[in-house]
Amino acid sequence: MILLQSPSRFLLQILQDRVLSGDKGVDIDCHTVEFDDVRYHIQFSMRNPKVMVLSVALPLPPPEAMLYDGLPLGAIEAIKAAYGPVVQILDPPKDGFDLTMKINLTKLPPDEEQRNAVLTQIASVREVVLGAPLKLLLKHLASKTVAPNVDKLVALVHRPNESFFVAPQADKVTVVYPMRFQDSIDIVLATSFLQEFVEARRTSALNNAPSCLWSPVPPLELKGVPSDALNANAGFVTFVVFPRHVEGKKLDKTVWSLLTFHAYVSYHVKCSEGFMHTRMRRRVETLIQALDRAKSDAEKLKKLVNGGSFKRLSLNNDGN
Amino acid sequence: MANTLRLYLTCIRNTLEAAMCLQNFPCQEVERHNKPEVELKTSPELLLNPVLICRNEAEKCLIETSINSIRISMKVKQADELENILAKKFLRFLSMRAEAFQVLRRKPVQGYDISFLITNYHCEDMHKHKLIDFIVQFMEDIDKEISELKLSVNTRGRLVATEFLKQFI
Repeated sequence: MILLQSPSRFLLQILQDRVLSGDKGVDIDCHTVEFDDVRYHIQFSMRNPKVMVLSVALPLPPPEAMLYDGLPLGAIEAIKAAYGPVVQILDPPKDGFDLTMKINLTKLPPDEEQRNAVLTQIASVREVVLGAPLKLLLKHLASKTVAPNVDKLVALVHRPNESFFVAPQADKVTVVYPMRFQDSIDIVLATSFLQEFVEARRTSALNNAPSCLWSPVPPLELKGVPSDALNANAGFVTFVVFPRHVEGKKLDKTVWSLLTFHAYVSYHVKCSEGFMHTRMRRRVETLIQALDRAKSDAEKLKKLVNGGSFKRLSLNNDGN
Repeated sequence: MANTLRLYLTCIRNTLEAAMCLQNFPCQEVERHNKPEVELKTSPELLLNPVLICRNEAEKCLIETSINSIRISMKVKQADELENILAKKFLRFLSMRAEAFQVLRRKPVQGYDISFLITNYHCEDMHKHKLIDFIVQFMEDIDKEISELKLSVNTRGRLVATEFLKQFI
């Protein structure tokens, strides 16, 4: 898997099992956590086996990110638009969660293909909620306007206590990510990965991709942002998104890719480290073998020399 | 490039061949003790002159000899930050497995990246020339491994970046 998938496999599996299982209801009450500290709480009760209560906790927002009632801008509208009558939002949400929804599985469309599409959509609830403000901004870009009553620079939360910045303009949207990593090895690997992004963009095959820049210092777009939000240890990545990147069906894909850029890089940094470990382990094995070659021969020789008793040399033994 | 490496390694091999003539030598101070003199440096008459072989400023190899033990320390080239981190990671990985290597020192000598300590017992257990083969192969492998690791990181980075950017087209 190179790209991150937006539907949560866990959530999707539970939903599909429940839809297919018919009427027999079992109590389910379970928690699960996804990358970037998105938590889900799933509940089914015996009384209403076809009603699922799903609570979602979003990553802790940093001070500069704007939230409305604990949810990103336009999240409620996005949920209503995405799910229609199947989902009902409960207000206030459960304790410790930012959003609680009641999903009525009896209202799913009867056609299997459509039903699976809706279930997948429900499983990608994080994309709908967290991506709502970004989608709003990019939608306006597609029609070459700027969303009304939106600041020049919008901070959007994507990781606990971390945000990325979006500067919307009528003809382009600039997205800036301050890249932070905890481990010193991660920092170095990620920096070299990010430079590869810039290099890869220069190849002719990717001429139409959003232009990508990496710099160790905050770019000009981030003027006026509090310095707390700018202490990135792996530099800053800037993508410039043009209307051609958000036309029609591409919008959803673009939103999801931009939303999970940090997770994507960090996932591959970790994979790379795992691969390195496998390699190093193999290398150690070959080196130990080289050392053993020196040893075993010597031991063999020892046995031959003081092998307990004398062995009579004959023509037959010469070969050994 | 490959040629200078060959010369460097040949030089190390020849020096090791000359230096590795170790004999059993009990400690002079404490009775019934037998310690590697190169580590303890108790008496100067048991030590020989150390030899420093440099390929360039970043890559060098220090060979310290004594009557019953020899210590080989080396510094691996680290051209940039990525190589530095890869070398550190790899050598730490090896040092942690020093038990399996027997002749590897758990901690490198100060100023170097990795050290070996070979005593007369090792020389008795193993073939001397095979042991030298191992040391030289080890040096060669470390260089090779680090440049391969670096290449693989870069290749992966390029692939990851291309896949990501392809989504927008």
